Amino acid sequence: MPKYGMVIDLQKCVGCGACALACKTENNTQDRAKGQTFNWADFIYKAEGKFPNVKFTAMPVLCNHCTDAACVKACPVTPKAMHKHENGMTIHNMERCIGCRQCQRACPYSSEDVDKSKAAYSVISFNDFSDEVHPFYRDKKEVVAGCTASGAEIAQKAGDIPPHRTLYKHSDYASVRVAGKVEKCMFCEHRVLNGEQPYCVASCPAGARIFGDLNDPNSEVSKALKAHKAVQLANNKGELLKPGEKGTQPNVYYIRGFKVTAKKA
Amino acid sequence: MEIKRRDFLKVSVAAGAAMALTGPSLNAFAAVPKPLAGEKVSGSTDPGKWIASTCQGCTTWCPVEIFVQNGRAVKVRGNRYSMQNLGYVCPRGHLSLQQVYDPDRIKVPMKRTNPQKGRGVDPKFVPITWDEALNTIADKMMELRKAGESHKYLLMRGRYTYMRDMIYDAMTKIYGSPNNISHSAICAEAENFGAFYTEGMWGYRDYDYNKTKYLVIWGCDPTNSNRQVPLFIKSFGEVLDKATVAVVDPRMQTTASKAHEWLPIIPGQDGALATAIAHVILTEGLWNKEFVGDFKDGKNQFKAGKTVDEAAFVEKETSGLVKWWNIELKDRTPEWAAPITGIPKEQIIRVAKGMGKAAPNVIVWLGPGAAMQVRGGYSAMAIHALNGLLGAVDHEGGTLGGAKQAAEHMPKVDKYQDDIAKKHSKMQKIDQRGYKHLPALHQGKPGDGVVTNNTATGILESDPYDIKMAIGYMNNFTFSCTGAQRWEKAMEKIPFFVHITTNVAEITQYADIVLPAAITKYEKWGFVKQKQNRHAHVSLIQPVIKPMWDVKIDETEIPFLIAEKLKERGFSNLYDYYTHELKDPETGLAPRNAKEFALYSVKYYTYPAWGKEDGAKLGDKINGWEDYRNRGVWNSKPYEYKKRWGGKFGTVTKKFEFYSETLKKALKAHAEKHKTNVDDILETCKYTAKGELAFVPHYEPPFRHGDVKDYPFTFIDYKSRLNREGRSQNAPWYYEFHKVDFGDLSHEDVIHINPADAHKLGIKDGDMVKVTSVSGSFIIKAHLWEGIRPGTVAKCYGQGHWAYGKTASKEFGKTPRGVNNNEIMPFDIERLSGANVRNGGFTGVKIEKA
Repeated sequence: MPKYGMVIDLQKCVGCGACALACKTENNTQDRAKGQTFNWADFIYKAEGKFPNVKFTAMPVLCNHCTDAACVKACPVTPKAMHKHENGMTIHNMERCIGCRQCQRACPYSSEDVDKSKAAYSVISFNDFSDEVHPFYRDKKEVVAGCTASGAEIAQKAGDIPPHRTLYKHSDYASVRVAGKVEKCMFCEHRVLNGEQPYCVASCPAGARIFGDLNDPNSEVSKALKAHKAVQLANNKGELLKPGEKGTQPNVYYIRGFKVTAKKA
Repeated sequence: MEIKRRDFLKVSVAAGAAMALTGPSLNAFAAVPKPLAGEKVSGSTDPGKWIASTCQGCTTWCPVEIFVQNGRAVKVRGNRYSMQNLGYVCPRGHLSLQQVYDPDRIKVPMKRTNPQKGRGVDPKFVPITWDEALNTIADKMMELRKAGESHKYLLMRGRYTYMRDMIYDAMTKIYGSPNNISHSAICAEAENFGAFYTEGMWGYRDYDYNKTKYLVIWGCDPTNSNRQVPLFIKSFGEVLDKATVAVVDPRMQTTASKAHEWLPIIPGQDGALATAIAHVILTEGLWNKEFVGDFKDGKNQFKAGKTVDEAAFVEKETSGLVKWWNIELKDRTPEWAAPITGIPKEQIIRVAKGMGKAAPNVIVWLGPGAAMQVRGGYSAMAIHALNGLLGAVDHEGGTLGGAKQAAEHMPKVDKYQDDIAKKHSKMQKIDQRGYKHLPALHQGKPGDGVVTNNTATGILESDPYDIKMAIGYMNNFTFSCTGAQRWEKAMEKIPFFVHITTNVAEITQYADIVLPAAITKYEKWGFVKQKQNRHAHVSLIQPVIKPMWDVKIDETEIPFLIAEKLKERGFSNLYDYYTHELKDPETGLAPRNAKEFALYSVKYYTYPAWGKEDGAKLGDKINGWEDYRNRGVWNSKPYEYKKRWGGKFGTVTKKFEFYSETLKKALKAHAEKHKTNVDDILETCKYTAKGELAFVPHYEPPFRHGDVKDYPFTFIDYKSRLNREGRSQNAPWYYEFHKVDFGDLSHEDVIHINPADAHKLGIKDGDMVKVTSVSGSFIIKAHLWEGIRPGTVAKCYGQGHWAYGKTASKEFGKTPRGVNNNEIMPFDIERLSGANVRNGGFTGVKIEKA
């Protein structure tokens, strides 16, 4: 059985946002609201040093699909809504979820309110009980009455919410989630099951994301981890696990530096 | 948020109800966990089809494919057949989905019912039929022609495809006006000036960076813009391993943050750095001998401060090296340049030597930051001339020209021009190009280049005449041109304005008739030509979904509909041209309506790529129209290295010119036209050079609006990597992802101030500050950022819309969301090329705590 993981090559990454925007088009996540980011793929940006010796780092982030997943441990329902698949993925079952947000509180990479906690992102987001998802495409306001459309009208004309909704099926999750539930990155299992790469990987113009079987020594991820020293994130503030520190055993690794480290000619 | 008991109960009740209907599948509170191993995990994407088209979010013009499910566009990727982007798109590619499904798109033609025009004045638009809109337009056009004033008709072009010829060129010329004004000079031309007056190519260079050993990026950020975005992103990680990368930019942008060398130059001092690098390359004997030649005796006579005998050096592919040295370079030492540029002498020498040692596998990538300056023409030449010194031009791992594209050109219009058209289309254009102070030396011809931003001057001053009617398509000059406030006044003055647009933009607020346009990439026919990765392409734009609303194609359907209306009114020349000249190349059938015209004209233009032998000879072999529609792109064979070596450059001498005989000829022609000399012309154009200096790349001190005493900070403008040319700001994703612009914050519009400067002014991160220039003033949030040179402040361009839609503006039609840089940067022009000025530290600002 494979154990899926991801390696992100920071020297290749240019922090452009294509992966995260592609994710939004694949997984139809809604706009940011109420301290939630809804970005299954997101970024941490860090600036250090003083002019002109400034170091700026971009780091793509996503669910770490931890081996020792705190979110799974915390999930109170039985069977668990947040659970591990045999392939190593941490998958959320939308139907079983009761929206208690204990997974969000337990996950070191998540925050109930990213603004209040000053976190860069949150792996797990929560769709509020009181609101329907994608309010942008339910709004009826026209800027020029009778002449321009509205969110509700364009969604209705296109035939879905969001109008660019990518339709897919999965036994645990829907292509658009519902109110009163949490949601997060699923490693695009609906694609991986059919031999495709997660959409952020397939869409990264830099080729910075490598996805594959960590148990297979010949996989690209294993080869990348063998060739380079890797680090893992400790939390959603951008701190890294210290050498020897296991944390929740995240399965997303980072290799090389955002700024080139090779010698100058 | 803590979970509330009430919410829990709600779910429990819902869950209970659901359970009663569907049985135990929703057993959220079941006591015994279901064993995971027994569960069948399944998943798949619903059926859909990838359809080819072209992205026009920037001028990379990426061949793309769009995934369509149930008639909806849902995902975007690079075209797998493209030799340019190799199957990938940048963030803009995905962002475009929020444009086609923009809630604020215009659904129907509209007319203005409030005669008063001005910023913040509600036009009181009401919906009308296409017929009424077109009749009104045709009546106005006929009225002007009958009055002998067809030249008072103005066509303003914005984002285009190569079907532009139909509305921009043919319609204007056959109708009888000289005034087809493009947007081109808003953000280019000065860059092309640099390449043209050295190597004779008015166009963007291609770059062979996968084989380069030294890459210098100068005044641009290729991971964000400058016509090769996905390919550069794809290659950059490996280029960093194989080559040394140096970035010249006052602001630490993406490429600078990853590079080996960052040269945070004082804005506008690019010419000083370029000439100093050239000086080092020559004094160190590091020029490329194969391209440039050598001293007869093989001994380097380039010594600082000493002139050299021209006869001592024998040039090969170049012309005027010793002249350049004697007139300009001999005193341009790194010691001289260091205090002017703010770059340490050691770094200038290190970079120059590194470039010299890597020659000829070197790229000096000239971008708009170093060219779109008041005195940027010569900086552009100086920077590009380094490629000549290093023998990098048309060399493997260097800068390249473009391969031939298999596409048709516009059929001739002269047969269809009546006497009125012939006479009036040759009159002076409204942008005043060719006036003494506006040489606009496009391709060596005085008065030949567009001076887009000066069109407002012509309109406001009614010089050479007053404009009575204008049509604009996919342009928004009241937002996109510096000194934007002038355009508001100019648009108020035009009595009848038609805007063809997808959204109610700022300029639309001045329109009398608004025609809703199809969205490029998703809803229309067109094609584009571009080059990168040594391959040129001819990429198709085709409808991948049914248009969302009652919209039409700006460049083909709309002019055809106008032509029909003009024919009804007794003027059939335009209709005759469209129907006689733009036939379906396969069947020979003439278009009978606008829809057929849109299709046949695109087939006519792209026919060489898929229907004729030319295509297969020059590149991909494509088997007919259906095959082309499926593939979406034709690629040329790779551009040949050294193609223009051996005296085939497009200059007067046919060589790469360090002493530009080409510029000399053009400047002299312009001076003669105005019965004066070149010195006088340069002074009129705000340049300082005298005599022979006018003909070589040289240093010019930057020109600045606002003196340092009153406006101590220098304002720097840069573009968001999410800008789809000013058209993505109504997309929520634009704000959510703004942090991908390094140093910027999502959902904010901020000005970057170096912490040292901020500290002196008592400004803390997040404070509101008042920024004032000679042009305008605004209040904005300050963001302290080390990635900006002290003494300069930087702000991202993109936000500040007061119209465009409810996401783009704070209060539609009234209050902007964020700040438009074009209202703080004053109007100015690089007069030799006609380019709009946006860079080079030309805007001084005062910063105060608000």
